[in-house]
Amino acid sequence: MNLRQRDRINPHLDLDTVDAAADLMALNMGPQHPSTHGVLRIKLFLDGEVIIKAVPYPGYLHRGVEKLCERLTCVQLTPIFDKHDYVAPMTNEQALNIALERMLGVEVPRRARYMRTILAELQRLASHLLWLGTFTLDIGGTIGGGASLMMYTFREREPILDVFEMLTGARFHYNTHQVGGNRHDIPDGWAAAVKTCMDQLAARMPEYEEQCVTNSVFLMRTKGIGVIETPLALELGLTGPNLRASGVDLDLRRDAPFHAYDEIKVNVAVSNGCDTHARFEVRIAEMYESIRIVRELIDNVPEGPICSLKPVRTVNQIKLPEGKQMYTAIETPRGELGTWLIGGGAEKGACPYRLKIRPPSLHAMAALPYALVGHTVSDVVAVLGSLDPIMGEVDR
Amino acid sequence: MAIDDGRSFEHPLYHYWENSPGGGIGLTTLDRLLMHSARHSLWFFPMATSCCAIEFMTAAASRVDLDQAGTIIRPTPRHCDVMVVAGTITVKMAPRVKKLWDQMPEPKWAIAMGSCAICGDFYRDIYSVVPGVDVIIPVDVYIPGCPPNADQVMVALQRLQEKIKLQLEGKFVERDLRPGTMIYPKIGTHGDARQSAEVAQAQLDGARGLGVGGKEHRVPRPAAVQAPPEADATSDSGEQS
Ligand code: SF4
Repeated sequence: MNLRQRDRINPHLDLDTVDAAADLMALNMGPQHPSTHGVLRIKLFLDGEVIIKAVPYPGYLHRGVEKLCERLTCVQLTPIFDKHDYVAPMTNEQALNIALERMLGVEVPRRARYMRTILAELQRLASHLLWLGTFTLDIGGTIGGGASLMMYTFREREPILDVFEMLTGARFHYNTHQVGGNRHDIPDGWAAAVKTCMDQLAARMPEYEEQCVTNSVFLMRTKGIGVIETPLALELGLTGPNLRASGVDLDLRRDAPFHAYDEIKVNVAVSNGCDTHARFEVRIAEMYESIRIVRELIDNVPEGPICSLKPVRTVNQIKLPEGKQMYTAIETPRGELGTWLIGGGAEKGACPYRLKIRPPSLHAMAALPYALVGHTVSDVVAVLGSLDPIMGEVDR
Repeated sequence: MAIDDGRSFEHPLYHYWENSPGGGIGLTTLDRLLMHSARHSLWFFPMATSCCAIEFMTAAASRVDLDQAGTIIRPTPRHCDVMVVAGTITVKMAPRVKKLWDQMPEPKWAIAMGSCAICGDFYRDIYSVVPGVDVIIPVDVYIPGCPPNADQVMVALQRLQEKIKLQLEGKFVERDLRPGTMIYPKIGTHGDARQSAEVAQAQLDGARGLGVGGKEHRVPRPAAVQAPPEADATSDSGEQS
């Protein structure tokens, strides 16, 4: 029975209707599985090796962050937000601080906006490099040659983290944004370090791309696998590279500019392939585009202050207006990261009353029951890797 | 000679070997060989759940390169000697961690990487987070940090090798403690006055009481060790379907 020829796959398939006498095998993948990108359990119902139904069970990393946010003040929230999408902490901080700034009506100085743009693009590069490494590792396996590209991409990621470390003092969880601007100013020699790092990466990227696209095994394992058609992608709320790989030209950097994206041109990569390979292509194209944007901006950072409010001294210094609510979204490496904020919580309004996070990864996970059906078990890691979910963001 | 404390290399066969003529010399040589190889081929099992896992991957990748110390990262517990708990352990995940730990063959060691694995970090008073992985498995080396730098994993590995060497030489090794700043006066409340002692206890019971993981905790226990009904209700979290 070819389940893919129906016009729409049924994720809630009643298994008795498939073939009551069939020996369907239930296979649990995860939560401890090296290729599930964190702790995700997928329950697969298999006919032979073909997947009839797939049910993802998230929640193994539920840290109750939204509840935690209700009793921390706005100043204390930034380091918590780092830990949601731990592959791209920089953009997560920005999402929170933009939400707070728009709610309070605070202007961000132009220098800080340029710095944020550069940081966001560098973070996109670091995140996509990590994705490229783990994705090829999933497809190739450690012994099958996937580990070699992973070693290369981790090597390229290190200079970017070094650049962040120069600026903020931390490799990973930066805590460098605050309401009204940035906390750390650009140190001497930072621009040169960024440029060296970008030159290196720009010289090596074609090589890495070639390693994948000239590999016939890679092509066989990605082309036509995990198809998410355009209407389905829109219905599920996919965003970011996953949506653009399904042929929808939507990028918040261009369509709802934040930071300094309104002053520069962003070329959005779109592919009509809808499959795993299309998602690979879109991400690779985004990396080239990020390199271009960083190189364009790094020489033109304007002079001036980096924060329009006074530096953080006490935890209660920012108070949110009571009862005001607002939804803000920015484009992170994984897509639209939305923050729904209601002001006027504990500590006389210094804490948010409610902070709801709209993580792009959760919606990417929702595509799994559709994208996996009809494929074999070995394709699960390829599709999952191409959707690039981060479980910290899914479970929060 | 049974393996009792889980820290002993003694095999039942040793007994017969030791008592055979000339066996002692062979045994000493073998011990030395075992001591050397055990220290320099520690295979890591990544119990990688969240952010610290990325830093652990970085440690395994190009710059720090854990492989140079003879470690191999294997994703199956049956091949591994050292469990690296990198990341937050939730109440839902805790039984799995315990089960995977039980599946690892003796002798085995554990490294807690990052403040989440050590004490739960700032999530420790959240209902779903285990306040430190050492409430469910014994931890040998702690790496503080959020996240610790990748090279700290190498430092921890060296510390572990040193410990193993002392252990195998039969010397007394003092237990590593949680790093000083992270000990809470009373684990019941996890240092947070807003959380009641009952919630804290339920959190700990949820992590500990599920036994070896999976659905086993639902199997009725023999009457002698049956827990009181309200303790059952608190420990019934985590597993579904
Ligand atoms: S210690 Fe910090 S970096 Fe490590 S898992 Fe916890 S929050 Fe993430």
